[in-house]
Amino acid sequence: MDRLINSLRVRLIGVVLVIHAALVPLLYLGVSVIIQEGYAELFVNSVRSFSRLTADELEASGEQEFEQRAAALLDGAMLTGQVVFSEITDGQRKLHSSLAIDIAPVPRADDFDFGDHGDQVYYITHRVKRGDRSIMLRLGFDEGPTLERIIGAKRRLLLAVLTFTLVSIAVSVWLSAVIARPMVRLQEAAKRVAGGDVHAHLEMNSSIREVKDLTHHLESMREKLVGANEQLANEIREREVSERKRLDLERQLLHRERIATIGTLAGGVAHEFNNILTPILLYSQVALDDTPPDSAVAKDLTRIVAAAHRARSLVSRILTFSRQMDVPQTSIFPLRPTVEEALALLRAIVPANIDIVFDPLEDDSTISGDASLIHQVVINLCTNGYQSMRRTGGTLAVRLRVAENPTVTQLDPGKYAMLEVSDSGHGMDPVVMAHIFEPFFTTRGVGEGTGLGLSVVHGIVTSMDGSITVESDIGRGTTFRVYLPLASSTREEIS
Amino acid sequence: MAAILVVDDELEVGEAIQRVLERAGFTVVVANSADGALQALEGHQPDIVVTDVIMPKVHGLELIRIVRGQYPRVRVVAISGGGSFGPLAYKPDAISTHAYLAGAREAGADEVLTKPFDMGDLLATIRRLLPN
Repeated sequence: MDRLINSLRVRLIGVVLVIHAALVPLLYLGVSVIIQEGYAELFVNSVRSFSRLTADELEASGEQEFEQRAAALLDGAMLTGQVVFSEITDGQRKLHSSLAIDIAPVPRADDFDFGDHGDQVYYITHRVKRGDRSIMLRLGFDEGPTLERIIGAKRRLLLAVLTFTLVSIAVSVWLSAVIARPMVRLQEAAKRVAGGDVHAHLEMNSSIREVKDLTHHLESMREKLVGANEQLANEIREREVSERKRLDLERQLLHRERIATIGTLAGGVAHEFNNILTPILLYSQVALDDTPPDSAVAKDLTRIVAAAHRARSLVSRILTFSRQMDVPQTSIFPLRPTVEEALALLRAIVPANIDIVFDPLEDDSTISGDASLIHQVVINLCTNGYQSMRRTGGTLAVRLRVAENPTVTQLDPGKYAMLEVSDSGHGMDPVVMAHIFEPFFTTRGVGEGTGLGLSVVHGIVTSMDGSITVESDIGRGTTFRVYLPLASSTREEIS
Repeated sequence: MAAILVVDDELEVGEAIQRVLERAGFTVVVANSADGALQALEGHQPDIVVTDVIMPKVHGLELIRIVRGQYPRVRVVAISGGGSFGPLAYKPDAISTHAYLAGAREAGADEVLTKPFDMGDLLATIRRLLPN
């Protein structure tokens, strides 16, 4: 019943217009006829009054109310069941609205039965389902349209329906092309953006201004989002970098403090040791002097003296290395004994499974600079080398050579002292090798090694107008070569 | 035989030096502070003063200045144990033995010795300062 009422309205479903089938009987009459003669209104009113009743109520109350009149005006030809009849008049014509309730199921027929059923009375019957019953609704009127009018109306209706259907299809195709398809593309792009691909462009070719504007706004929103996103990522990156720098500085500072403390401590300890060593050395030498030279006691005393000398030498080296490098002291000094001194200290600290081999070929080369910085260079390079062999053991080879016009970038032609430090350790891959001279780059844990690092070596060598190269094979070892200008050639240049 | 005053706040160091010098025939008096040394100087004037540089209360350098001023005839040997830096010609930093010994020379010491020194070095240094 509701469907019937609703069907009098034109409904838009999606983009396609649908005319409910229930409108069809009214359209049979011709639209102008319906409007002029008020049939639609009458029909709808009778249907509305029916619709207020449930099937049971209608059955119960309707019977009593209408049964009496039904006998006189019964149109027995149509109905096999009980008929409830009502008469409606607009003053001039009699219109009959008969509501037929089929108790027995009515055989399924066309929903609409249009025809002549008596003297000058025409009916439009509509069958609906109400609960489990079929209910026939019949609209009757005295003066029906002529057959011609009806046929004409039917044609017009068919034409109208056909035209309308075609227009609907055209409109929906057009709407689909203009809105739906670009919308789908826009939706796909939006999905990509939502999925993380923020660079997916939101574009849509459409001739509709609103759609264009929508796309434009969405695209500018996306661009702003991308911009904000990048800005945020940059800020995060900057913060990470500055945080790392801060940590590095903090670590460096801590390390410096520790080194300074060790230096102070070593200075104090060295002073004490020297005071202790003085009587040991003097008493053993006095005793040695008082003992026959070939006696066993003399030999023992000689060993004590030698041990005291070694201790003295070690203490002096500790002092040398513990002091701060704040003020470089430039002098011209021979390279070989300087390297030997550093190696002597290293021998005291490297594990027993590592051999240190020194191969000084050119022993008379002198260089200009701070000798303690050369200590640092040797110590750092050797520490780096022996730490790569700590587990496996191996050989740390230190060589001194003179190199003439070495093919090393950033070096002017001339004579150079070449200090080579090779280990037989695990080697480095090219990625590691590319970073080893960078400050704070390490493959080891914090606090391991001297902590001064290869970057310091690089800095020292560069400050002395030298250069450092590195070669490495995975599993075979690493070789560092330090080139330092010879002092003699410097002197020649000056003179 | 020459008389030598040995000044060191480390008793064992003073006694060891005393042992070496007495064995070599010198007359040795040991003081373990600059104050003690000044008292000893008032009593009997030695030919040579061997003094440590770094000492509590009165610094060795101060003692050297006083000796230089008040007893110009007395020779002075300064000894210090901050550490030796080997044969190389690079300089240690400001708190090193070298700096102290350089300071001692400036204050008027005739010779300087780095602890721990050999018996031979000590005797050679002393003999260099004595006439004949």
